[in-house]
Amino acid sequence: MEQEPIKEPAAPSASSSEACTDPYLRCAFNGAALTALGISNSALLAHSPQGCEYLVNNAFASQECDYMETMTLCTKLCVDEIVHGGEDILARTIREVKDLPISALFVLSACGPEIVGDDIVGVCETLQPEVKFRLVPIECAGFRGSQYDGIDIALDTILKKLVKDNVEKVPNSVCLVAPHANANPTWPADLAWVKQVLSRMGVKVVATLTHRTPIAEIENIASAETSLLLSHDAGQKAADYLSSAYGIKQVCKGIPLPIGMTNTHRWLTALGERFDALKTTEEMVAEGERMVMATCRRKWPMARFLYRTPAAIVADATVGIPLVRFVTEEMEMTPELVALYTSQRPVRELLERELQSLGLNPKVVYGTDVYKTRKSLQEVRPQVVFGSTIERHASEGLSVAYVIEVVRMVRQFRMINREYFGYNGILNLFEYVQNEWTMGWRSKEKRYGAKW
Amino acid sequence: MNPGNNSIVFHGDLQQLLNKVETGEMIPKLQASHAPMCKFFTSYYVISGIRHVVPLVHGPTGCPLYMSDFVRTRECCEIRGVPLEPTACTSLNESNIIYGGEGKLLEAVKEAYAKYHPDLIVILSCCCSGIIGDDVESIAHEAEKLVGCRVLALRSEGFGGDFRSGYEDAFKLIMDLMEPPEKKMKGTINILGARWGPTPTEFNWDMDEIERLLGEVGIKINAIIAGGCTVEQIKHAREVELNASWCFDWGQKLGDLMQERFGIPYSNTGQPYGPEATKEWLLGVATPLGMEAEAIKVIEREIKEVEPDIKYLRKALSGKTAIIEISEFPGPIRALSLARMAEEFGAHPVVINVHPYTIKERMPSIKFLLETGVNPEIILTKGLFRLGSFRSSKETEDELEEIVKGYENPIFFGNSGRFPPCPVVNLTLMNPAFQPQYGFRGIKNIAALVRQALENKNLPRSRLFKGMLYGTRTN
Repeated sequence: MEQEPIKEPAAPSASSSEACTDPYLRCAFNGAALTALGISNSALLAHSPQGCEYLVNNAFASQECDYMETMTLCTKLCVDEIVHGGEDILARTIREVKDLPISALFVLSACGPEIVGDDIVGVCETLQPEVKFRLVPIECAGFRGSQYDGIDIALDTILKKLVKDNVEKVPNSVCLVAPHANANPTWPADLAWVKQVLSRMGVKVVATLTHRTPIAEIENIASAETSLLLSHDAGQKAADYLSSAYGIKQVCKGIPLPIGMTNTHRWLTALGERFDALKTTEEMVAEGERMVMATCRRKWPMARFLYRTPAAIVADATVGIPLVRFVTEEMEMTPELVALYTSQRPVRELLERELQSLGLNPKVVYGTDVYKTRKSLQEVRPQVVFGSTIERHASEGLSVAYVIEVVRMVRQFRMINREYFGYNGILNLFEYVQNEWTMGWRSKEKRYGAKW
Repeated sequence: MNPGNNSIVFHGDLQQLLNKVETGEMIPKLQASHAPMCKFFTSYYVISGIRHVVPLVHGPTGCPLYMSDFVRTRECCEIRGVPLEPTACTSLNESNIIYGGEGKLLEAVKEAYAKYHPDLIVILSCCCSGIIGDDVESIAHEAEKLVGCRVLALRSEGFGGDFRSGYEDAFKLIMDLMEPPEKKMKGTINILGARWGPTPTEFNWDMDEIERLLGEVGIKINAIIAGGCTVEQIKHAREVELNASWCFDWGQKLGDLMQERFGIPYSNTGQPYGPEATKEWLLGVATPLGMEAEAIKVIEREIKEVEPDIKYLRKALSGKTAIIEISEFPGPIRALSLARMAEEFGAHPVVINVHPYTIKERMPSIKFLLETGVNPEIILTKGLFRLGSFRSSKETEDELEEIVKGYENPIFFGNSGRFPPCPVVNLTLMNPAFQPQYGFRGIKNIAALVRQALENKNLPRSRLFKGMLYGTRTN
């Protein structure tokens, strides 16, 4: 199922030349924190001024850490440490927490200490004999790139520092890469669905990079036969490294993630082919499609009334690219704007292939920011927007009928995680459309008062 | 009264705690697991409270994270009825760090003006731009010649100071927008110390109560700085007769500076919690304006309206020990204001776990409160100094439960995340049903909360929430 990259020139990144942006994406430090906090029984020490701790808090929430199990710490650098260096305070802080009952302490450096040249690797090497846990320094200053670059940086460090190479291969096994580089605010449900599917196919998950992952799993990751990348935005470098260093072959490469019936069918088939489980795949597809259709027959999703309504998709590539087919095929709307947060070549190639295959020609914005999104919405004037709360406000005054909040920050609080992947994912997305449709109809004011 | 608890590390009054912090006997340093906001955050908070401003963050994209998600979208757009306005950023990368970001910043200001047509652009420097030495002030000066609005620069590097310095420097910067007065606005004041933007649209807030009371007296407000004020209002800020603050702690610096530089008097009063403090607050504003008589009339009328609540609070709190612990929400200065209110109603206030760091950071406000006679009993426990989360600290919860047992007739003022064996008055600002807490309407709300606590004291507490916060382990 792997496909060759298309040859035609890709659209240029729209974000490169601008000096003033209103970004959707956070910095590398945030992405690295998001990755490190996915490793269980560990703590994170931000070698940074105190404000950067809020980037860690954001990552802590996204990885659904439990503060009773995971502690975050900060060296809280001030002018003194910027002028004279912060290595002493880093060492002091590590010693201060040396009794924590953890297996690893991830030390992340932010912009300030990296510019002034603090050697966090050296400090960690020096102090390693004094502490019982592993010290893992990650140099991930915010200026090194976006949150996705930070995920790649952290995965690179973690793999190079922790993986053992003298392990036996586990037959029919996989390691899952970058499930957290996904703008579904409850992405752990996507990961859970993937694990459930693999289990049914008899495939063993050796490790997840990263979500509630014990260090022992990472140490043994070389025992995996294959890797499965769960993001279109980050993690490809880790998958490539696993391939070159340990011969771990990537499966489902170059096809959209399993959102919607066709994407799910295609993705499951690729897995089934690799793991010699096509019969199970066929069963899952048949059961899943039957369940979705039967549920829709009983519940009557109103999405069917949005036939060929002009739509916009503003999202990360992980959710946004698969949504293009789902919105076009399953929901029969017409995407007229696709604005993605990222602009890397593989993202552009994948989207171009999808658009070509569907015969669509929407306005495409790569590396969008809030300003470009607003301007594109003004230009395209879609009736339905798949995006976040930001697009709800960015659409004000544009007569957008529905803003379906599916990514990043969403208005609706979700106590139970909801996946977008797979068959329940289709129903979850229909539900969001339905609720937005219902809210859109609801009277905002009363025409007159009651008498009682 | 003997709390009888061996986990106590300080037991005295506020003055004694202040002395220990000032002499270095108690070190005002937070543990590694606690990181308050940095200077950049608090500077942004203030600047974003100005209407049609572009806060231009000169740094990588991580710095505006909390701002764009939390302040702009969630707080301002979703709750405060503010339209989507930009959180602009120069997105500094490695190359800019090596070669400097001044050129990019100048371009960014021009772009920001062309894109957003703002009334004001404020450049906020971050750690990166601060360390590499980008001259943001000069760029602002140059850029102002090229665009059609004022361009100011604020050195707000995260390492450059604690959260307090960000507020203060931002308020100080706002003074640069204030133009020489053309006239005096009779009976008009500025309210100082607000941030983020206007109050929520769906619920009444403390600031709304202040505005209501001032309106009843006939006092006009030129600007709430920076609670959704316009640049035009700030320009005219020197035309008022008086400055006042909705919270002494936040407004004091700007009030003092405006008094010093422009000769505009500043009404020095504490937070209007309870009848006496509310009266003081209102008279503190009305008297210098020559509107004392009108204010007294309003106070008498309002007091009459809440008389049953005042009577109830006197009866309910008289002879009780009010254990007050308000660490994160709503904050330590409110805890001290509540201590004063509790005393007014006949209770003996005991404030628990105000970190020495807080004493250091809020020193001017603490000293002001001491001057006004607020000097409650204070207890600090060992748990306060342990690694971990303040809000859900099992240690401080256990210590609180133990301390409460040592007092006769205790009542706890804090939030419902605590489970002491006594009535709990839930003063969290997260429950809009009982806001405001300021002023006369605040008295009504606090009376309702005390009534809830006392009348329902025998109802079972949530095993679920307690387990969620503190775990189910017994040791």
